[in-house]
Amino acid sequence: MKITTTRFGVISVKKDKIIYMPSGMLGFPEKKRFVLFGHRENSPFLWYQSVDDPSLAFVVTSPFLFVPNYDVEVDEAAKSMSWDDADENDLELYVIANIPKGEPDKITANLIGPLLINIRKRQAVQMVIASSPYSHKYSLAVRQ
Amino acid sequence: MLVITRKPGERITIGDDIVVTVIEVKGSLVRLGVDAPRSISIHRQEIFERIQKQNLEASGIDVSDLNMAVAILNKIQ
Repeated sequence: MKITTTRFGVISVKKDKIIYMPSGMLGFPEKKRFVLFGHRENSPFLWYQSVDDPSLAFVVTSPFLFVPNYDVEVDEAAKSMSWDDADENDLELYVIANIPKGEPDKITANLIGPLLINIRKRQAVQMVIASSPYSHKYSLAVRQ
Repeated sequence: MLVITRKPGERITIGDDIVVTVIEVKGSLVRLGVDAPRSISIHRQEIFERIQKQNLEASGIDVSDLNMAVAILNKIQ
């Protein structure tokens, strides 16, 4: 199917690649369908583009690239989605990046609201990490 | 808003399948237990709102800003 986006024009997506979020992203409960595709070569980021809203797209990345020992409990989230038979290979974890307009050096990632995707079921949920040492504005552009 | 006074150990029910129990009251802290179907998400409001606000800000990133951020990151690493 073809989807219209403000950033990438009209893109073609296989229907079975669409990821369904029953509750949407926090703040966007009505936008339930997304597609995930790489940003470009040598980039750790991916675009998480809404199928339902051309202008809505998030930048996501693997938290483990920036915080190698990143550790959150996914069992509750998996349960809330009724992914009872999900094993580790089915689940992918991403964090949402943010860049203030015109200030790319101030890129951060939100480590307390990760995105958990069940690749086999093509479903996803945004988690809310209540008790953790992690920041919602973790700076990515600093020498670790 | 409905206001109900409860003692530790007492409960309120919401609808058919949500039960909130006052577990403990200690000074200004109240511990609550919530039993609800697992499809209902329950969050501390301030954390929920922080993530919501972060999502709103992160939903309008320009492609050019991301390209530049990647160039900066590749230089650092």
